[in-house]
Amino acid sequence: MLEIEGLSKSYGNNLAVDNVSFTVPDGQAGILLGPNGAGKSTIIKSIAGLLRYKGMIRIQGLPARTTEAKRVFAYVPEIPTMFDALTVREHVDYIRMAYNSDITDDEVEEILKEFEMEDKQDKLGNELSKGMMQKVSICCALSVKPKVILLDEPMVGLDPAAIKTLKEVVQKLRNQGVTVLISTHMLEMVEDLWDIMFVMEKGHIKGSYTREDARGRDLDDLFFAMTGGEEE
Amino acid sequence: MKALIYLTKRSFINNMKRAVKKPSTLIALIFGIVYGIFIIVTLGSLAVTVKFDSAYGLIVILTLWSIYMTLGNFMSYSSRKGIIFRPAHAHFVFPAPLSPKAVLLNSAWMNYLISAVIWIVLAIGGFTVFQISFAKVVLLFLTGCVVEIAFEAAVILFLYTNDHLPQKLMNGIRLFIKIFLIAFTLGVILYFRNNGLSLESARALIDAPALQMIPVIGWQIAAYRLIVLGPTTLNIICTVLYLLMVLLSVAGAARMKCDGGYYEEAAKFADDYAELKKRQKNGEMVFGVGGKKRKFRRVSHTIGGKGARAIFYRQLLEYKKERFFFFDKMTVICIVLAVAFSYGLSDEIADPAAGGFLLMGVVAYISLVMSGYLGKWEKELKSPYLFLLPDSPIRKMWYATLMEHIKAFVNGSIICIPTGIFLHVSPVEIIYCILIYTVIQADRLYTAVIAQCLVGEVFGKTGQNVIRMFIQMALLGLGAAAAVLAGIFVNVDFIFPIVLIYSIMVTAAMAVLASLRFDTMEQMV
Repeated sequence: MLEIEGLSKSYGNNLAVDNVSFTVPDGQAGILLGPNGAGKSTIIKSIAGLLRYKGMIRIQGLPARTTEAKRVFAYVPEIPTMFDALTVREHVDYIRMAYNSDITDDEVEEILKEFEMEDKQDKLGNELSKGMMQKVSICCALSVKPKVILLDEPMVGLDPAAIKTLKEVVQKLRNQGVTVLISTHMLEMVEDLWDIMFVMEKGHIKGSYTREDARGRDLDDLFFAMTGGEEE
Repeated sequence: MKALIYLTKRSFINNMKRAVKKPSTLIALIFGIVYGIFIIVTLGSLAVTVKFDSAYGLIVILTLWSIYMTLGNFMSYSSRKGIIFRPAHAHFVFPAPLSPKAVLLNSAWMNYLISAVIWIVLAIGGFTVFQISFAKVVLLFLTGCVVEIAFEAAVILFLYTNDHLPQKLMNGIRLFIKIFLIAFTLGVILYFRNNGLSLESARALIDAPALQMIPVIGWQIAAYRLIVLGPTTLNIICTVLYLLMVLLSVAGAARMKCDGGYYEEAAKFADDYAELKKRQKNGEMVFGVGGKKRKFRRVSHTIGGKGARAIFYRQLLEYKKERFFFFDKMTVICIVLAVAFSYGLSDEIADPAAGGFLLMGVVAYISLVMSGYLGKWEKELKSPYLFLLPDSPIRKMWYATLMEHIKAFVNGSIICIPTGIFLHVSPVEIIYCILIYTVIQADRLYTAVIAQCLVGEVFGKTGQNVIRMFIQMALLGLGAAAAVLAGIFVNVDFIFPIVLIYSIMVTAAMAVLASLRFDTMEQMV
């Protein structure tokens, strides 16, 4: 479970996120939506421990900054950045060590194969295209065997096959009881994935819907209804 | 920690492997090491020449080391910019379940390595140049490599992980240190100017007991003096204070709590540092990491020119929005150089006729020194809009670089007018020198474009610069030689006009060739 309680973050005098609270229960996929500058990235970075903030973030009931919470948490940032001098395999091996992950070699091979990276394991970080970096980033996150996973614009740069694989992986993770939070602008890509959606605007949660509440309406409709972009 | 060690170890091994495979990196590495050894040996010889090759000479160096390095480190660590983080740290390290303190200490490995290398050099120098006994050298090395690095690590932890330190207080301390270091440097320069640069004058300066009583840096100096020069009551007391302070700092840093608050600044630094490396890779001279966000003025201006002229007017608009128009750090450097040359060379010139040639030499020297300077025009070639403009390549090139020529003329005037006046150079020769400077700078731009076309990205920016310098020096060297011959055999007064006219001809030829690059975006190799 991922719990955000009274999260606020300012950059100087600019209040980027103002007292935001939401929860994504176990085994559910939450979608964080909102126009540019709404505060999504600030929330994502706060959850990942990259920013100071006011309020409380809990991962599986543990404060997000603790080592125990981080051990079950995986993060796929919007812009993947590799260590130039580390190979794809070494990135994964480092993650396995850092997270003390019990993932086996066979499972790692399986993940790399799913994302068509098995023949690129010896490529160095600075030899990868943006799409490949994104795939490595996802493979590393999956190597953690997380209980909570955070994906920031995960489809950007991926080829159609990888997008399909990623969607299947997210479904599989949900079925395994993993909490998923995806921040994205590509509404049509997450149409089949979400259980709960949050719409942000100007640093606040403007509204949220569960799939049951939505009663079959498109994400597009729900989003524009809340943000006022189109008539409901 | 195991994962971080793995990360550092694998990065190091892979970098080494890559360096061995890539001859240019390997050559640069070997050249760097050989150059480093050359510098150290030269400094050693210099120490012998100026009679600094004694225990006291070493103490002078260690005193300066303590003052500049300790305070410099404090300034960079307190602004959370002293440790190099990469964007990949924000992706793979900061969110990982690793102790933020371990992340910090591991990431500072380069800092420890640099300190260790310097202490190895000092130890070798202590034994070979400064005639210190082996036992003292070992003790000095251990003090430097163990006690000092332990203290540095404690300072890093304290300054990075302490979120309770008021920002205003830290800014105040940094400003104080900056003022102190500048005042100290100026004081030392003036002191040696008045008393002469000798071991005796240096000794009189550093023997002041008050120096050793300054907390932290003074106590550190006292420890070095105890080891190198032997015990005195003062240095024993101050050394004990130093050791106690190091012990307390290490113990305090070990007990401090840290939940990774500094990751926010570290991630910002990582982005700024990546940007700096990118700009350096492009051959740009960059001063410092990050800095404040640039503010632009609001101006009402319409881009008047049509076709390629619009490039010039767009650049003009951009410069109008800048705080100081097109005056930048390069202008400051020109002013500093002008002051230095005017002040430094005016006493040396007895014959006013020689002043003009000296000024031309200064102009040639500065043109070489400023080879790392890139203006706005460099960005033009990276923009596809330049190539889409419906105009001829030569006009595009002229208007893309016109502002640079104006800037070069202004910078040339800043350098040549005061230096020329101080060197008693005639106004006509000063004007010649300004024009020669402007033309050489233009030639540099066009030759850089040709070098880019010739070698492309195969040898990187360094390779392009080497080719550029070779072409430029070969062509302009010919002109200089012709001018000198004409001066010797015909008339000395011909030298300046010949150099100028020849440079203009070469630059015009270069411009025609370089304009081909403005035709298509594709490289020519």
